[in-house]
Amino acid sequence: MTYHHQRPPIRVPNLDYLFDRLPTLRAHRFGHDHEGEGEGVTTDVDEDVLAQFREEAEQLHERLAHEHGVFVVEFLGSTGSGKTRLIERLIERAPEDESIGVIVGDVAGDDDASRFRELGVEVANVNTGKECHLDPTFLEEGLDQLDLAALDTLYIENVGNMVCPADFPLGAEARILVVSTTEGDDVVGKHPLLFQACDAAVVNKIDIAEAVNADVEAMTADVNEVNPNMPTFETSAEHGDGLDDLSTYVQEIRDGGHHRDHGHGHSHGHAHDHDDESHHHSHDHGHDHSHDEDHSHDHEHADHDHPPATEDE
Amino acid sequence: MHEMSIADSMIDIAKRTAADNDADRITGLTVAVGEATHVNPDQLRHALEVMADGTLAEGAEITMETIDAEASCECGWSGEPPTVDGAAMIAPTSKCPECGSRTELTRGDECRLESISVPED
Repeated sequence: MTYHHQRPPIRVPNLDYLFDRLPTLRAHRFGHDHEGEGEGVTTDVDEDVLAQFREEAEQLHERLAHEHGVFVVEFLGSTGSGKTRLIERLIERAPEDESIGVIVGDVAGDDDASRFRELGVEVANVNTGKECHLDPTFLEEGLDQLDLAALDTLYIENVGNMVCPADFPLGAEARILVVSTTEGDDVVGKHPLLFQACDAAVVNKIDIAEAVNADVEAMTADVNEVNPNMPTFETSAEHGDGLDDLSTYVQEIRDGGHHRDHGHGHSHGHAHDHDDESHHHSHDHGHDHSHDEDHSHDHEHADHDHPPATEDE
Repeated sequence: MHEMSIADSMIDIAKRTAADNDADRITGLTVAVGEATHVNPDQLRHALEVMADGTLAEGAEITMETIDAEASCECGWSGEPPTVDGAAMIAPTSKCPECGSRTELTRGDECRLESISVPED
């Protein structure tokens, strides 16, 4: 293996425009000094590698949603945030005749896949080995193991990781980011880009928030700071709190055909309109803060509202 | 660590571009990384060096540039995305500083192979 540290680029930022205008000079600076090779040309490429991944995701969306009529929801979040449990809960709530598949991404092992198999759904386990996220190629590997024509719904559980998946959409109609109180209530501010790349957020394990000294309200307020109007659900996947709301949200996306339009704003607007009407957890927090000082009545309402039970339904 | 797969794609694109230009060697790669991606420029440089080994881009000089993030809002605001000074760190937000609604990134979420340099013959 050879590294080329012996020729560090000499960067003189103020003179860059000169080099840019003089390709010969530029090539001379960068090229080898072998006889006859001193001259060179710079060829524009201007290709966005991440855009390629986004295009691959669009193709996946086209194939899954439009050719096969499969509704795809992706779950992301740290290892241990509760992605598997949440998907299990959604599967349990599904109508009998809904045909469900799950693609499970894990660096190694079959543990999550086994749990889903016990629920009687189609499961494809994808071990990513040294990669820390699912990319469209890994997803293809999972899709090959499933009968797409027979599926109504596909859940994708990404590898437990809150950094890399941000740049790798998988063509799902909704990307749902799961964080939990055990990750610390500052977890949202640490991962702003992933929140901005997702459609909805779940703050899970609210049942043990007090035990781990996490401020759930601060977490949802942070979500609203980092990504305003992001539908946010406070849940305990273990005990069932908040799951009706989450399930309704997923159902609304399915019914409304709110196709995720990667990187563009149109679908976001629609999703948020629905959110404002029916799931006002994160919305409430914003108001609570401003009303606390002047209106004690509002404050009482907010308190009633707070354990995000199923009163919306 | 997805810098490796990005580097792999970039070397592929570079080789294709070289072939289109009848070049049998690549002496330079200019790469631009958006601020609003999770791509680590230092790791990408290293990954490119490793992936270039044994190809016609072996030893190519790698120049890294940064693409500043820019966002715009439906209310008409546009500019550098504001940051929120949270407990953990200063984080970019997609909250419009003018109206508080959600902004969309217009720049800075890309990772480009800008150009390659090839010997002139």
